[in-house]
Amino acid sequence: MKIMKTQNGNSLCLALEGRLDTNTAPELETVIKGSIDGTAELTIDMAALDYLSSAGLRVLLGAQKIMNKQGSMRVTHVNDTIMEIFEVTGFADILTIEKA
Amino acid sequence: MADKYESQSIISIRHLRKEYPNVTPLRDVSVEIKKGEVVSVIGPSGTGKSTLLRCINLLERPTKGVITVDGVIATDKKCKVNLVRKKMGMVFQSFNLFAHKTIIENIMMGQVDLLGRSRQEAYDRGMELLRTIGLGDKALAYPDELSGGQKQRAAIARTVAMEPEIILFDEPTSALDPTMVGEVLSVIRSLAMQGMTMMIVTHEMKFARDVSTRIFYMDQGEIYEDGTPEQIFEHPKRERTRIFIRQLKVLHVEKISRDFDFPAFTTQLEEFGRRQQLSQRQIYAMQLAAEEVLMQKLLPAAGEAGDMDISLDAEYSERENLAQMRFSYGGPSFHPFGSGEDLSGRVIKGMSKETEHMFSNGVNHFIISI
Repeated sequence: MKIMKTQNGNSLCLALEGRLDTNTAPELETVIKGSIDGTAELTIDMAALDYLSSAGLRVLLGAQKIMNKQGSMRVTHVNDTIMEIFEVTGFADILTIEKA
Repeated sequence: MADKYESQSIISIRHLRKEYPNVTPLRDVSVEIKKGEVVSVIGPSGTGKSTLLRCINLLERPTKGVITVDGVIATDKKCKVNLVRKKMGMVFQSFNLFAHKTIIENIMMGQVDLLGRSRQEAYDRGMELLRTIGLGDKALAYPDELSGGQKQRAAIARTVAMEPEIILFDEPTSALDPTMVGEVLSVIRSLAMQGMTMMIVTHEMKFARDVSTRIFYMDQGEIYEDGTPEQIFEHPKRERTRIFIRQLKVLHVEKISRDFDFPAFTTQLEEFGRRQQLSQRQIYAMQLAAEEVLMQKLLPAAGEAGDMDISLDAEYSERENLAQMRFSYGGPSFHPFGSGEDLSGRVIKGMSKETEHMFSNGVNHFIISI
């Protein structure tokens, strides 16, 4: 998985490319922990993300919990299959999601 | 009890083995066939089906084992081959009619030479049989003037004219144009209805299912599973039977341990799915099933020792458009999503049709249908 980081003032965008799974989720977790301080708006851009499993969901949930305290978080450009994952796990109700 | 059972058998086979220098098509076959049974022999190519028939008819000498046909020990060196063959007719894939003789002469010949019938008797019986299979007007034709289906029907009539106790069919429709398969099968079907004992090696599954009283599924040189058509086609007990019957495409991985190359397997699964023309969603769900079960549940539970002996079959049935991820692993009984529904469990439940866990003989089976 590739993670493209764009910082603009106190807003941070992380664009994900490839697969967010058991092997790659720790990378995203490290990037989020390392750059979330002082961020008021976090955007996770999934335009180029092909695959998401429960390991990725856990990292997103962790990020949402932090952002609940210090600002807001959006997940954008979500494709149909990944949207289905969000729906069946109830994440569609927890996260702010914008479909592709 | 055993004696009574034996006395009903028209064919009894004990530890039959056939070896050639480089290959052993029959490893160890023991079976009893009773009068009136219609046995279809099915299975992949090269698993000994035709060799079994050819050994029974003594076209091949078994390497080991005893075959008894209607009380005569056929494998006894002193046994007269013709005595056995008189009890048993055989229909071949390639008809084996004499090209220089008319159809009726082909049918009369054996009756006159071997049964001692007069030419008139042989002719009358031959014509009677030809008429019942719709070939009365072809009696004076030569084999080359007949279609493949007609030739095979004539070959069956010739076999029936010898009044055998049992008829062996070796892939009787495999050499035929598909349009002619039906006419030959219907002749065999009517023989079954008259109570003729038959063994039929065939690839025609629907026919085998409809006409047989018993099915042998042959694989790896043995009768791998023996049962009624319903048992074999609806509830096969053994793994290879199931794969063959359901025409499954299978991707098998075994000895999955903590060192398992999961990214490489993900790619393999994707290629497998593409080859079977699965939808992107089906491929996604299969990959999820593999990841959630293996990476999140089984491998962490297996721990350092990695002694759970985990294997996985990704299967796809085109006929049912059903994909299944079948995990097997050592005991104790462990349902991957049994202890309350966590995130992995919710993902699997949401993306699959159903899941099933079974535990028997120290082995867990966890199946996800997609």
